[in-house]
Amino acid sequence: MPKLIGLILAITLTGLMPAALATNETPEQLVRQSSKDVLDIIRKNDKDPAKIRDQVDARVAPLADYTRMTQLAAGRYWKTATPEQQQALTREFRTMLVRTYLSALSIYKNAQVEVRSVRQGSSSDEQDVRTEVTLPGEKPIPLDFSFEKNSNDWKVYDISVNGVSFINNHRNTFASVIKSEGIDGLIKQLASRNASGSSNK
Amino acid sequence: MKRIVPLALSALLVACATPHNHYDPLEPVNRPIYEFNNAIDKAALKPLAQGWHDYVPHPVQYGVRNFFGNIDDLFGIPAALLQGKATPASRSFARVLVNTTAGLAGLIDVASTLPIEKQDEDLGQTLGYWGIPTGPYLMVPFYGPLTVRDSAEPISRFAWGPIDYIDPLGGQIAYYSTYLVSARADLLPLDAAIAEALDPYAFIRDAYLQRRWYKVHDGNPPHPLALSDDMDEQDEAPAQTETGNQPAQ
Repeated sequence: MPKLIGLILAITLTGLMPAALATNETPEQLVRQSSKDVLDIIRKNDKDPAKIRDQVDARVAPLADYTRMTQLAAGRYWKTATPEQQQALTREFRTMLVRTYLSALSIYKNAQVEVRSVRQGSSSDEQDVRTEVTLPGEKPIPLDFSFEKNSNDWKVYDISVNGVSFINNHRNTFASVIKSEGIDGLIKQLASRNASGSSNK
Repeated sequence: MKRIVPLALSALLVACATPHNHYDPLEPVNRPIYEFNNAIDKAALKPLAQGWHDYVPHPVQYGVRNFFGNIDDLFGIPAALLQGKATPASRSFARVLVNTTAGLAGLIDVASTLPIEKQDEDLGQTLGYWGIPTGPYLMVPFYGPLTVRDSAEPISRFAWGPIDYIDPLGGQIAYYSTYLVSARADLLPLDAAIAEALDPYAFIRDAYLQRRWYKVHDGNPPHPLALSDDMDEQDEAPAQTETGNQPAQ
């Protein structure tokens, strides 16, 4: 977590993050603005997936509630983890998501993102923004962002691609690893994958 | 190819014979089949798909994808009609008409440029629309993930699809192989995510089931699909509030 805060601070200070992001924008505005920025990053760096990954990560980090994501993916085991374990798990899960999903963005060079609709969640503090990613000559891909409001800011706690939710898709695997090897076992497995994955980049 | 059908049926019988309340009752059978498919994929299918993607001229790749897409559209017509969806049915009909003629037997997707939008319907979705449950999740050899309900689509294609009109077995194998390689090439971007998964079998299963749930509800599911073995997993997930009743899982 300190590293994450440090990173966010560093990004803010270097001015990569527009000040406008900070407060009170609606989820729809956040999605429109950030998807535009992300597509710009992809177009400018389409030969360099690592650069895309790092810049997109920096751009979206302030919008994502990785702790909440990890909490939901860990399900009922979250409460049994110590704060240190929760932090470590969040860090590794986040690294894994960034590494896996943001490294593959270069194929979306010619993509367009359109907001289809905004749907109220089960409370007024939840909203889903549904978008469609279109690539020339291909079926549009539904991409939905689930937002939750904590204090004043809306943050993303889940993303669904084609109806497949990130947290749902990790929940079962996480549960079975935790059942057999405990939370530390899960942290260790994720960490070793993250370590081996980053060394062959 | 039709041997898959009895195999799927016998798997279903096994499922009925063993009582489970687990949402993947066939997991003990499915996992070895997954390993088998995966071995074939690694040894043959994936390299072929990669080669297809890297070396085959793009117009050929598009042509093959469009050809099979035209057959999807054709089978999408009854699938939409049986759900009483007139607009999707007529769009698919118009697409097939245009693409089969002006599009040279489906090789060119003229309809999309008009544009007549591509629809996404199949018989599995039709059954789901009418409330038929998915039945057990299946991992089918040489094919991939499926559920008993969703096997309606591939079974109808084996029965009435173009493969039935191809006479020599060699021709049928060539037809299916081309389909498989082209379809696999479209999935190559997913490989990184699957390779990263701690349990690729569960990852694919959960993704498949969620995706079908989403499609049956035309992208507007009443609630996220509950994917869990444990009934006590009612944690504070905001979206998991009404997992109790699932009219059309």
